[in-house]
Amino acid sequence: MASLLAGFWQRLQRGNGRESARRRERHARLAPAARESGLFLVLRRMRAPLIALIVIYAVSVLGLTLIPGVDGDGRPWRMGFFHAFYFMSYTATTIGFGELPHAFTDAQRMWVTFSIYLTVVGWAWAIGTLFALLQDRGFRRALATIRFARRVRSLREPFVLVAGYGQAGRRLVYWLDLLGRRSVVVDVAQERVDDLELAPLALAAPALAADARDPDSLLMAGLVHPMCAAVLALTDDDEANLAVAMAAALLRPDVRVFAQSLSASVRDRMQLFGKPTVIDPFDRFGDYLRSGLRAPEAFRLIEWMTGPPGSTLPRLRDAPRGRWVVCGHGRFGRHVAADLRAEGMEVTVIEPGAGAADDPGIIVGSGTEREVLARARLETAVGLIAATDNDTSNLSMIAAARAANRELYLIARQNERSSRRLFRSIGLDFALIPAEVVAREIFSDLTNPALYRFLGLVRTQDEAWAEDLLARLQHVSGDRLPLLWSARLDKATAPALAAWFAEGRSLSVGALLGGRSRHHARLPVVVLMRVRAGEAVLLPGDFVDLVPGDELLLAGQGEGRRAITAILAAESPRDHALLGVDRPAGWLWRRMARNREAQDAAG
Amino acid sequence: MNLEKVVFGFFILLAATLNFGFVIGDIDNPEHHNEFELFAAVVVSLIATVLKFGDRTQIGAVHLATSLVADLQLIAAAVVWAYAANASVSGMTPHLMSSIVSLAAGALFANVVSVVLLVAETVSFHRR
Repeated sequence: MASLLAGFWQRLQRGNGRESARRRERHARLAPAARESGLFLVLRRMRAPLIALIVIYAVSVLGLTLIPGVDGDGRPWRMGFFHAFYFMSYTATTIGFGELPHAFTDAQRMWVTFSIYLTVVGWAWAIGTLFALLQDRGFRRALATIRFARRVRSLREPFVLVAGYGQAGRRLVYWLDLLGRRSVVVDVAQERVDDLELAPLALAAPALAADARDPDSLLMAGLVHPMCAAVLALTDDDEANLAVAMAAALLRPDVRVFAQSLSASVRDRMQLFGKPTVIDPFDRFGDYLRSGLRAPEAFRLIEWMTGPPGSTLPRLRDAPRGRWVVCGHGRFGRHVAADLRAEGMEVTVIEPGAGAADDPGIIVGSGTEREVLARARLETAVGLIAATDNDTSNLSMIAAARAANRELYLIARQNERSSRRLFRSIGLDFALIPAEVVAREIFSDLTNPALYRFLGLVRTQDEAWAEDLLARLQHVSGDRLPLLWSARLDKATAPALAAWFAEGRSLSVGALLGGRSRHHARLPVVVLMRVRAGEAVLLPGDFVDLVPGDELLLAGQGEGRRAITAILAAESPRDHALLGVDRPAGWLWRRMARNREAQDAAG
Repeated sequence: MNLEKVVFGFFILLAATLNFGFVIGDIDNPEHHNEFELFAAVVVSLIATVLKFGDRTQIGAVHLATSLVADLQLIAAAVVWAYAANASVSGMTPHLMSSIVSLAAGALFANVVSVVLLVAETVSFHRR
């Protein structure tokens, strides 16, 4: 996995030496250093009790040395500093060895009584302060911040800065982790940060509980770190996302920014700062739905290709054309109704809110009520979208709608992560999870720009093309989602092929995938796209040639990918696949083979 | 006027003056060096150290370092004194006495650096 995406990260990190030196320099200038260690924090807060303790000891010891005593024979004797300190040390810590070296006089005992109480108070204060400090939320938070800043500073591999560990952030952190990519998380809620600490990630993601709107916390999270590869603004608050996008554009203009936003005005404001990729889940879903209505096969294709890697193939019903019922006319409902109308569908809207009353086309009432649903004439509708921001109402609308018409195409919006099991078991045709839409969009763009481009091109193709490709994908990957990866045929990612081209040999797509010779079966891999000098060829045929520098987008399962990676990377598998020759892999055997060849040539 | 600055300056100066008072005199003559003065020097030096905790500036770090050096030297002097007075077979010898005073003189040097820092700080931030 790691080698596949290495190229992508290299591309994100591309830049000459001077550029990276400049970036490092800026990092040193802007990143707030963890100003002090935890020890100094403790010492500063302990100042008063420590001084009190020193003074108490000094007074007690001094008193003991000044008060006259007697030795064992009753002669006048004065305690030295050493003995006084020794006595106070074991008395103040309540160890109590007794009166040493000689029995005390009454004057000494009076003084000792006084100093015992004094030292106990001093110790109690000091220890109490220390424990209170260790329990203190602010102090622990300060310690956590120091630790976080240190961990981020010491990162030596590229990472993605995720602001907001909500539903979308959680998915992305997890998926990136599957690809061996590290994330650094900033979230305002401590519980979510605690949650992340328990998450089963392969690469621990440093997390900070802080407001992402504060540029300082972003800087601490590595915004100007030379290894920061992308910034994702995924908080639940549009304003905060705007602030993150703004800070990223101003402090780190060369890094890619992805932001989630539900408001058009915030989107416009984000576009003023750099070139962030702004994603509105409702808008994207409207687009999906429209392409699903217009071109179901292409829609299915996109659905497959953007799914999380390795999950099973979704079996989608085609979205029907006809009259749709939209329950809920909020931000999402309005959006989706407009999209459906634009696609030429008749739309009936049900909205309980008072704001809907002035629109005569809207049925006023709750979609959960039988009488209201009857007025929407569900028996003649083809689909229903439960679009409110309340999961319970959405679920009950779906149940009521199914009771009225079994054939309805059912779409529901799932708002809370906690209700995911209910949505899964109620049997929807499509569950819209806004966070999922955002996460998929960012994930495919971030991890595989070639795929992202391919998906854009799919929309320009016709249905037959999409259907054909679907069949081919299903052929190579069975009922699991195909694995998609890109490979660049250059020296860094394909050294064996670079050597192959350097020998003056040519290579075609068909030769790479094999199957034409008796030596090995065709690899279960589909070449989706070849990009050469910015020019893309979709589904290149077997006779399309490949040259150094080409970028390929491939689809298949793990086995196919391992085979292709091996062919690109090492000479022995390359020769086995392309020439049908078993070339020894080890250095010694290679030498011996070369000697034999030389002898054969001579003889 | 800032009371914190007054206290801070007071303890630093007092640490230096007590230290000086203890060191002055013949180096090996116990008559010239008062043990109470050494005790006071140790205590004041410790307090000055604690007062310096938590200053984040560069100059604050150097302040703390000088104080730690002074503490170390003075405590070493006190330990030698305790050894001479209680554990040594021959009691306080001129040799041990000069060890004590020279250790304290080292501490005096660190305290002088502290005072110089204090003065430098005061001169450069006199408007505050």
